[in-house]
Amino acid sequence: MSEYEKYQQIKREARWTGLALFVLIGFWIFAGFGLADLPGEVLGMPVWAVTSSVGVWFFAILLVKFLTSWVFRDMDLDEGKEAEQHE
Amino acid sequence: MNNGNPAALLPLLAFMVVMVGIGLYVRRVQARGFANNFVQQYFIGNHDLSGFVLAMTTVATYSSVSSFVGGPGMAWQIGFGWIYMAVVQVTAIFLVLGIFGKRVAMLSRKFDAVTVVDIIRERFQSDALASMAAFIIVLFFCATMTAQFVGGAKLFAAVTGYSYEMGLLLFGLVVVAYTSIGGFRAVALTDTCCAIMMMVGIVLLLYYVLQAGGGYSNIMASIHANHPEMLEPLSAGHMPAGLYLTQWILVGICTIALPQSVVRGISYKDTKSLHHAMLIGTIVVGFMNIGINFTGILAHGVLTDSLQSYGGVDNIIPKTIVTAMPQALVGFAIIGPLAASISTISGLLIVAASAIIKDVYLHYQQKKGLVPTAGRLRWLSMSVTAVIGIVVFCIALTPPSLIWIINMFAFGGLETAFFWTLLLGLFWRRANKLGAILSMGGGTLAYCLTQGMGLKVMGLHQITIGITVSLLFFLLGSYWGKPQERKVLAKFFPEEQEQQDATVSK
Repeated sequence: MSEYEKYQQIKREARWTGLALFVLIGFWIFAGFGLADLPGEVLGMPVWAVTSSVGVWFFAILLVKFLTSWVFRDMDLDEGKEAEQHE
Repeated sequence: MNNGNPAALLPLLAFMVVMVGIGLYVRRVQARGFANNFVQQYFIGNHDLSGFVLAMTTVATYSSVSSFVGGPGMAWQIGFGWIYMAVVQVTAIFLVLGIFGKRVAMLSRKFDAVTVVDIIRERFQSDALASMAAFIIVLFFCATMTAQFVGGAKLFAAVTGYSYEMGLLLFGLVVVAYTSIGGFRAVALTDTCCAIMMMVGIVLLLYYVLQAGGGYSNIMASIHANHPEMLEPLSAGHMPAGLYLTQWILVGICTIALPQSVVRGISYKDTKSLHHAMLIGTIVVGFMNIGINFTGILAHGVLTDSLQSYGGVDNIIPKTIVTAMPQALVGFAIIGPLAASISTISGLLIVAASAIIKDVYLHYQQKKGLVPTAGRLRWLSMSVTAVIGIVVFCIALTPPSLIWIINMFAFGGLETAFFWTLLLGLFWRRANKLGAILSMGGGTLAYCLTQGMGLKVMGLHQITIGITVSLLFFLLGSYWGKPQERKVLAKFFPEEQEQQDATVSK
């Protein structure tokens, strides 16, 4: 990857990370406030209490897994500097 | 107080010995690095952290003693709404590493940068801005460190029966010692131990709370019967919706700009480590926040009286430990919260020292054309780290009250100062020196003034004011002032080869 391509990739990763944040906020609202009136219990807790804690946590882990396997790319962090030295 | 519990002291002492041991070990192992490039090695560990250690040190520095004492105390009072709010912190690690991790890593290698301020200085070409940033870091970090010292020592006194001062001496001097001896690498390794101990401590406390409360279903039944509001997100008005919103901003989104987190982007080895750290960090931070606050709720099985009878939320966890844990294990139970405290202190201490040595002292030496000898640099770095630590330690001896608020004050102030400067500075070409200076200065001032006067808009935390004012100032300055020079921008925003050729031939 050239320096330009690396920067484009880093921008892309940052954008996707930001997008993941908004997806997570959406899920968080749904899992807590959205399910607050749902009847029934899980392990003695209201359903929303489980989905909004452990549920949000698992969802975040899945999101990060998605980011790191599909969006993020490995790159050499040093190359830019070496190239400069070669010039 | 002479009625201390010696059994509580031993595990703690052993833990502290291990911490200092790590400091000494790191110093020996890194002897060559220290001789080669002392500043690089001492303040950032020479780009060497693995994914696991990067995740653990970021989480441990981020999770403070208030996440372990004040937080679960609030959960005891409010119920599941508090966990719902605390869980927003699962964003903190993947956001900072995902957005800034690679950007900061590449730029720091390009400029031989060791601190976040180094990068800000290169980007905006302004000594005034860099000095302001260094000043804000040292000021707010000292406030946060004091709060951590106070929180840790209070917990120590409440749980072991020994005095506050003794607690402060015991773990306070230890953290200052290993940080100044081993530098960033020691901070990262001890942080990893601390993060593991925090998790062990949570599991241990949860187990004994369940035991002492007569089992899980028993405790939950009593909460259903006596505190039904704890099962609602808004907790019958104890947990206003506005608080959820501001918590997203304060402990979620804006934490990406905390210099102590961003600087970790300089420290890791390769991008694989970064990707690992994002995943591990998210798992660990979620486990801690849900685990400790859930334990706080279940403490209702142990502490059944009213909040007043325990003297406030900060006393809930200490009282729970003393009541629920067997005497012999109390010492293990407080290692977790104390680990949270010292790992935050060490992380801040090394960054505060780097601000003074690298961003102020070395910079002005360089401007004068002087190169300090390696020996002098080594001696200065270590003594500055030790002196800052000892000054904060002395402030904590006569403690200011309300640790949670002091901590939050600094937290929001740092976020206001650095959020737009870093985010726009690193990803927006148009961002310029005037915008950054106005934003950092004006935003922080607006935040501190409104916080100090208790001024609020729509009842929301002042971070909303700070972050808005700082954005407006940034945009104002960026469109009003002149853009940064092309030469500087070219280093930060590489252009496509053809474009570059085209501009050259013009």
